Amino acid sequence: MGYLGQQLVNGLTLGGIYALIALGYSLVYGVLQILNFAHGDVYMVGAFIGYFVEIALGGPSHTKVPVPVMIFIMFAVSMIGTGLLGIVIERFAYRPLRKSSRIAPLISALGVSILLQNAALLLFSANIRTYDTSSFIPSTAGFSIGSVNIDSVRFAVLILAMLLMFTLSKWVNKTQVGRAMRAIAVDRDAAVMMGIDIDRVIRWTFFVGAALAGAAGVMNGLLLRGVSNGMGFIPGLKGFTAAVIGGIGSIPGAMAGGLLLGVVESLTQGYLSTNFSDFYTFILLIAVMLLRPNGLFGKKAIVKA
Amino acid sequence: MSEDTSKLGIGTDEWVAQHEKRLQRRSGALGIVDLLNQRVSNKVRYSALGVAAIVFGLFVHNLYLLRIASNLGVFLMMTLGINIVMGFAGLLDLGFVAFYGFGAYAYALTSSSQLNQHWPTYLSVPAIVIATAFLGYLVSLPSRRLFGDYLAIVTLFFGQIFIQLVLSSDSITFPGHTDSTDITGGSNGIPGLDPFKLFGRAFKSTSDYYWLLLIVITLLLIAVVRVNRTRVGRAWRTVREDPLASQSMGIKVNNLKTLAFVVGAAIAGLAGAIFAGIQSAVFINGFDIPLLTLIYAAVILGGSGSIPGSIIGAFVMSVLPEILRVQNYSEFLFLAVLVITIGVIGKNWKKLAINIVSLIAIGYFVKALFSLSHMTTTPTKTWAIAPVSKALQYWLVLPANRIVWGNMAFIALVALVAYYSIAHEKIKPWLLPIIAYIAIFVWEDRLVADASTTRQLIIGAMLVVMMIVRPQGFLGKTRVEVL
Amino acid sequence: MTPLLTLEEVDTYYGAIHILQKVSLHVNEGELVCLLGGNACGKSTTLKTALGMVSPKVGKITFAGEDVTKKNTSHRVKMGIAVVPENRRLFGPMTVLENLKIGAYVRGEADPVDLERVFELFPKLKDRQSQLAGTLSGGEQQMVAVGRALMSRPRLLLMDEPSMGLSPRLVEQSFEMIAGLHAQGISMLVVEQNANMALSVADRGYVLQTGRIVLEGAAGDLAGHDELRRAYLGR
Ligand SMILES: Nc1ncnc2c1ncn2[C@@H]1O[C@H](COP(=O)(O)OP(=O)(O)O)[C@@H](O)[C@H]1O
Ligand SMILES: [Mg+2]
Repeated sequence: MGYLGQQLVNGLTLGGIYALIALGYSLVYGVLQILNFAHGDVYMVGAFIGYFVEIALGGPSHTKVPVPVMIFIMFAVSMIGTGLLGIVIERFAYRPLRKSSRIAPLISALGVSILLQNAALLLFSANIRTYDTSSFIPSTAGFSIGSVNIDSVRFAVLILAMLLMFTLSKWVNKTQVGRAMRAIAVDRDAAVMMGIDIDRVIRWTFFVGAALAGAAGVMNGLLLRGVSNGMGFIPGLKGFTAAVIGGIGSIPGAMAGGLLLGVVESLTQGYLSTNFSDFYTFILLIAVMLLRPNGLFGKKAIVKA
Repeated sequence: MSEDTSKLGIGTDEWVAQHEKRLQRRSGALGIVDLLNQRVSNKVRYSALGVAAIVFGLFVHNLYLLRIASNLGVFLMMTLGINIVMGFAGLLDLGFVAFYGFGAYAYALTSSSQLNQHWPTYLSVPAIVIATAFLGYLVSLPSRRLFGDYLAIVTLFFGQIFIQLVLSSDSITFPGHTDSTDITGGSNGIPGLDPFKLFGRAFKSTSDYYWLLLIVITLLLIAVVRVNRTRVGRAWRTVREDPLASQSMGIKVNNLKTLAFVVGAAIAGLAGAIFAGIQSAVFINGFDIPLLTLIYAAVILGGSGSIPGSIIGAFVMSVLPEILRVQNYSEFLFLAVLVITIGVIGKNWKKLAINIVSLIAIGYFVKALFSLSHMTTTPTKTWAIAPVSKALQYWLVLPANRIVWGNMAFIALVALVAYYSIAHEKIKPWLLPIIAYIAIFVWEDRLVADASTTRQLIIGAMLVVMMIVRPQGFLGKTRVEVL
Repeated sequence: MTPLLTLEEVDTYYGAIHILQKVSLHVNEGELVCLLGGNACGKSTTLKTALGMVSPKVGKITFAGEDVTKKNTSHRVKMGIAVVPENRRLFGPMTVLENLKIGAYVRGEADPVDLERVFELFPKLKDRQSQLAGTLSGGEQQMVAVGRALMSRPRLLLMDEPSMGLSPRLVEQSFEMIAGLHAQGISMLVVEQNANMALSVADRGYVLQTGRIVLEGAAGDLAGHDELRRAYLGR
């Protein structure tokens, strides 16, 4: 029982990260109907920014500011940085292609992905870095519910992911830009007729989607996983899988899909095999696409969260 | 008005034919490419190529050159395959190298002591082609009802899964067994494969494979050109241009797409088997993303949908890296490409001359600034290996901490190029020589030392830029926008 | 007095297909102008040109004295043009209230006063606020579409075939509503195929035939015009 509970908690934390990545795919797909392949690499950049902020603030063991402040700054800088990166990617790699064939943005996205990965390799070398979280938050900190131990970093990441998703729902449902974004997803021409400035909304969409990926990247680092130039590839695929499970374009779907995927993955790793866990994810993706092409929670358009 | 509406009523074939006639003429340096492209007939081109290949095979016995030529052959098979999947049917198959890898591993498993299978080539190769085609069919299934975009990412995922499966299949414990079996050799690969045995002889030298590849590619080319002229070929192009329109014209879009995808997979499988034969060993790291991007870069550079384009693209992407191993060539080529780019952008000779002069002036100016500020520089001796670099050293600044300076300049370069693309027409001419200078600086101080990363960076940038500037590639036909 | 909206010798193309040919028209402040014409003659294209959804190859468009030929739709909506598109084009999976708020996009957040006014005009909508717009009946959708357009406090309201797809009774109601809005002083350009109905409420009218204005005049004169009938026969 304890083991199962442990796996579930791990799965939800992992799922929170996947959900944040999946949201970026879904938001962008909603307004532009393109798959932003470079999204996983934006997540990688977010993790790097978090790392360098940590170093700039004195490093893991000699931080110059209180730990919560440091973590806050890491998230803030990373999210703003990746958000801006998202805007830049849209401006230079996708906007010139709005009127071209469907395959052109996909190839352009592939190009951006290769560029980001190799620029990171050139600038930061192939060394794998870590946030070394345990030197500022002892791994013994935490609490237990029954026989399930929940360490504080994991818990914080889970709460933070939920918080970000909640904020996003509010943003999408309660602000004019969020509403406009959904309107564009439903009927772009009608949205233009209402005076909505499409470019501005698309910029916002990329900013928010990329910022969420950046946050996910920092979370990944805090959970003591390695930071390197190729780290975004697999999570990018998982994020996409989560978005498809939830029905691409659907915001609540992306959240649910991410959490579900995290739990499934954690359970297969815990009970079946670690080596093949990505394989099971792939099978899940195929099964969903074959059986429920619109996703488990899917409607065609973005619906209210 | 009534005249216009009557035009909309034409049939599929007619429509496609019309649209191919509407080639647009471009001015400037790119126009020359078009002109060359139209002057010579395809038959002449292919025959010349074939004769050259035969002469090469007859008279060249240098093992290194034969290897390069065979690798080019395998690469060419793949670009032709991609050309069918992407160029004709408009699908993005990012699992293509996995099919290629599957073919290679299938050959390894049926022709080595790994599983103690030594199938005759007449049996194993056709079986591999069929098996790869079937695998392609399975992979295409989930995307059939959905958009092409899904296929792209599903195949990308598939490629990754293939690698992971191969890597972790070196210790599989089958149910009912206690000991584990090594199927794929994991990261050690599978060495010692049997050579092909065809036409009554065992393939002992690379030359044998060269001839085999020549035959296979010739057959493939004939088939592709033929198919291109048939209804299926035309229908494929219609599907690529406008899936909705072709749906309404009664073309079974899904079946055609699946067919293209499966044919592409089969070709990749065959290429993989031949590659495994040439290498007489397989290793998983040959079937990863870098190869994939290289193939795509080749097809896109040449022009997807254009067969001559694929051939030239394959040549550029597979042979060029070999040539560029010699640093002096790569430096020379870099400078040549830079000058040509400035020429193409500037559109006339006078501007090119002005730009080059300003570029040279900037170089001396920066060099003077540097020496005034007493910054330390790299001693010439440790730096200049290649003659081109030696010549450049009198002009280019070589700071002591080259990695740091190079990195900063790289960031500046990316930012400036991006800015250039949206800058006001009046500012652009001023930016151009500055960008060129920084490009040379980054190249000499940073990129030359990191060849593989540089190659990937260039490919990535090229994919984006080509999509924006010339999505049909250098030899492709201008797409006619469908309203 | 300068007209509120003018199109001067406008030529609009879709790709290579020439649609509008030297179309000139104007709408004065406070006027209700109707644009009549048969199927596919370019009525919607005229509205889209006025709104900036397509840009004319030659010709000039002014709004409130400003040359807006090169300005995008967002700018024009901000200046005070609003549209009730052909087939309403509501955001189906969004609620009625959200649709109305989208209408106020160019004003930043929606003004409660404007909302109140829409609900006054269409009391039915007040009860349906949180219903998804796609689930409403045709008549109610019409109300949302008009309400949505009014949320931006337009100086000029463009309507594209407001009677399309409505039952005869609803057609009558919707023209009453148009007349009512006109009476409140809102300037309007209404595209219609239903010439009799349109001319009964309009001040002036234009007749469009295969992309050209073939007839124009006061609504009363047009209503009795022989050629108007002919305009509908050939196209
Ligand atoms: N987006 C478009 N692309 C190409 N042709 C179009 C487009 N929209 C309309 N048309 C054509 O322009 C002509 C006029 O259309 P429209 O203005 O919608 O007519 P109306 O509103 O009078 O029925 C029609 O022949 C139509 O087929
Ligand atoms: Mg119309």
